[in-house]
Amino acid sequence: MKTLLLISHPEIEDSGSQQYLLQSLPSSAAITVRHLDTLYSDGKIDREKEQAMLLAHDRILFQFPFYWYSTPSLLKKWQDEVLTEDFAYGKQKNLTGKEFGLVISVGIKETEYQAGGREGFTVNELVAPLRALANKLDMQYVKPLIIYQFHYLSERDRMRLLIKYQQYLTRQHPDSLKKREDWLVEQVQETNRTTISTEGWFILEQALSIVEDHRLAIDELAMLLDAEGEDY
Amino acid sequence: MEEAQWIQGELEKLFKESRDYKQKALILALKEHIAEQSNRIEQMQGELDGSLWSPRKWNE
Repeated sequence: MKTLLLISHPEIEDSGSQQYLLQSLPSSAAITVRHLDTLYSDGKIDREKEQAMLLAHDRILFQFPFYWYSTPSLLKKWQDEVLTEDFAYGKQKNLTGKEFGLVISVGIKETEYQAGGREGFTVNELVAPLRALANKLDMQYVKPLIIYQFHYLSERDRMRLLIKYQQYLTRQHPDSLKKREDWLVEQVQETNRTTISTEGWFILEQALSIVEDHRLAIDELAMLLDAEGEDY
Repeated sequence: MEEAQWIQGELEKLFKESRDYKQKALILALKEHIAEQSNRIEQMQGELDGSLWSPRKWNE
């Protein structure tokens, strides 16, 4: 699975959340990161190059701050100029079947984004045009990763975000306990052994064996409950 | 389940010991995943106990 991460943020150097996400990128996975504002500071988008990038990847992600309930203007311009007729839709639909997801940082708290809240609509409602885009291009829309008020997150919540973000970029979708588990086990097995003591490594091995025992118990219970295939 | 509780304490210690930020995040995720699995098992066992008592199942 090759992921193309298209980031749009006009002031990325000053953005705590964007810098944190950039630092969180998994080093091993096949991820291409393109910061549009750096690439196209003159606003002239190289359509052929961008289309070639789209063709070369299986999962396309937009990462951006929520500006007036939408993407920053450069990312909108990118959509207008790159997703052209007979490339993305029309006689030829080159993006059919690819995954399309969103990583959105939002400055206002989540509870305001609902009916009765100050913003009045959920973020999922507000990104309907992007869902429609995925629909028109026959892409598979992946539930967005929405980050509310990054600067108020505790250190542990930031670490939880780091893992969620890495998973969002590299894990199979849709989400399930089993998929999160497979991803986690693989990451623990690959983690750097030099930064951990021998006893520490023993603990990790023990933890992995507990995860495995739990998985057997869950699968057995699912069978007894006749709930195979559900999100276990 | 005792083992699952023991590992929670050990992973918390390991979390505090690790000096690698991404590794710390991974240890935290592993710790919370085990807790989530334990909860899931408990819920499913409850559901199974409930279903055994369900009259709908008596004729099966």
